Amino acid sequence: MAIDFSVVREAIPVLLEGLRVTAVVSLIGIPIGVVIGIAGAYAAQSRTLLRPVALAYVELVRNIPYLILVYLSFFGLPKLGIGASAMAVAVGCTAFYTGGYFCEILRAALRSVARGQTHAALSLGMTYWQTQRHVVAPQLFGFLIPPTTSLVIMMFKDSAIFSVMSLPEMTYQSNLLTANTFAYVEVLGTTALIYWLSSVLLAGVGRRLETVVGRRTRTPDVVPLTTLSAKGKGQLS
Amino acid sequence: MFDALGMGAMSGVIEPFLEGVVSGTATTLAASAGAFAIGLGLGIVLLLARISPFAPLRSLVVLWVSLIRGTPALIHMLIAYYMVPAMFDISISPVTAGVAALACNTSAYIVEILRGALGTISYGQRCAAYAMGMRGAQVWRHVLLPQVIYRAIPPLTSEFTILLKASSLMSIIAVPELATVARNATLQTDLPLQVFAITAAVYFVLLFCISAASRVCERRVSRMLPHGH
Repeated sequence: MAIDFSVVREAIPVLLEGLRVTAVVSLIGIPIGVVIGIAGAYAAQSRTLLRPVALAYVELVRNIPYLILVYLSFFGLPKLGIGASAMAVAVGCTAFYTGGYFCEILRAALRSVARGQTHAALSLGMTYWQTQRHVVAPQLFGFLIPPTTSLVIMMFKDSAIFSVMSLPEMTYQSNLLTANTFAYVEVLGTTALIYWLSSVLLAGVGRRLETVVGRRTRTPDVVPLTTLSAKGKGQLS
Repeated sequence: MFDALGMGAMSGVIEPFLEGVVSGTATTLAASAGAFAIGLGLGIVLLLARISPFAPLRSLVVLWVSLIRGTPALIHMLIAYYMVPAMFDISISPVTAGVAALACNTSAYIVEILRGALGTISYGQRCAAYAMGMRGAQVWRHVLLPQVIYRAIPPLTSEFTILLKASSLMSIIAVPELATVARNATLQTDLPLQVFAITAAVYFVLLFCISAASRVCERRVSRMLPHGH
């Protein structure tokens, strides 16, 4: 079979227009999700009623297929009198899902920062939030970046599901093009290629961030006592 | 509160849907299990290619993994159902296309899981097996593969839950699984909230049980494996 490159040439601008919508959804939805995830992780650490709520939220996200969540929000919410556009539902679903997964990532990272460090900081007289700000948070990034990169790529890819509610993102544009031209090989091939290149790019950005943060936050395993006290004086006074 | 959601009105129309849920769940489970079995077989073959001494073969597997992991599962469904038949001028049933797409998808993740598990087996075991006079295939069959599979059980079960969630995407190509049953039921009954809530609950129970089984498995495996290697 021959590939008709004129179809590919015509498809690319349309697909890139779809990619723009995909990117907008991800750029708004994922940061909101990260904020939800941070709130969720600290809620799950607390000893209040917020803890079971946060844990239930994470289980919901992990055990319900994304497609069903999208169907439920898009077709179900209007029945509750909440009319939302496809764009709003897409951003909401992205945020809801990202939040659950980021909560898990952050919880694992918080566990990875040795408990002893928190105790040491608290015994130095730091408050809980000072400990989080000066001791825990700077070390978290190293643990957070690799899984967060995977999460961002996952949410970016899963945005293809929003085509079921006719949000004009890339997969929807691809479906329209194939319906009009029947050029399945050219259009679907190009769509997959654009998704792949975008994912490779995102993974590259993630790796780059890892090395940058790795350079900045790398600490020696054993710190000589003299430098520790000197450092401690400088930082805490 | 139930009446506010139209539960009273729905008792008549919901029964056919509930019957559909049973058959849909069966299809979901069967298709996921089938795709997982094929994906596991494919994953083992890919693992052998991934660590073969022949460099182009290794690069091909790396490319396969990158391509699959860099594109949405939904696109894999569309490629299997529309693009592959158009390329080779054949016709494929939705179920075949769906299972094939899921199997290819999961194979890329499985090969990485297996490679991780293989990395934990000390090189000395391979040397010892060769020293005992085993040939390459025998070393694989009797020494490495059983341990790889065993160590990979916990991540493989969690990969299965991901696969089961992705199987809902088969509704895009009209495989009569749970998500398709739900979608059709909403078209007939106009009760999307109730229908999708029930569907979500069914998925939740299925996945929660599998995750729980996976945690039990993980504890067993970690207890039985020697520490260190």
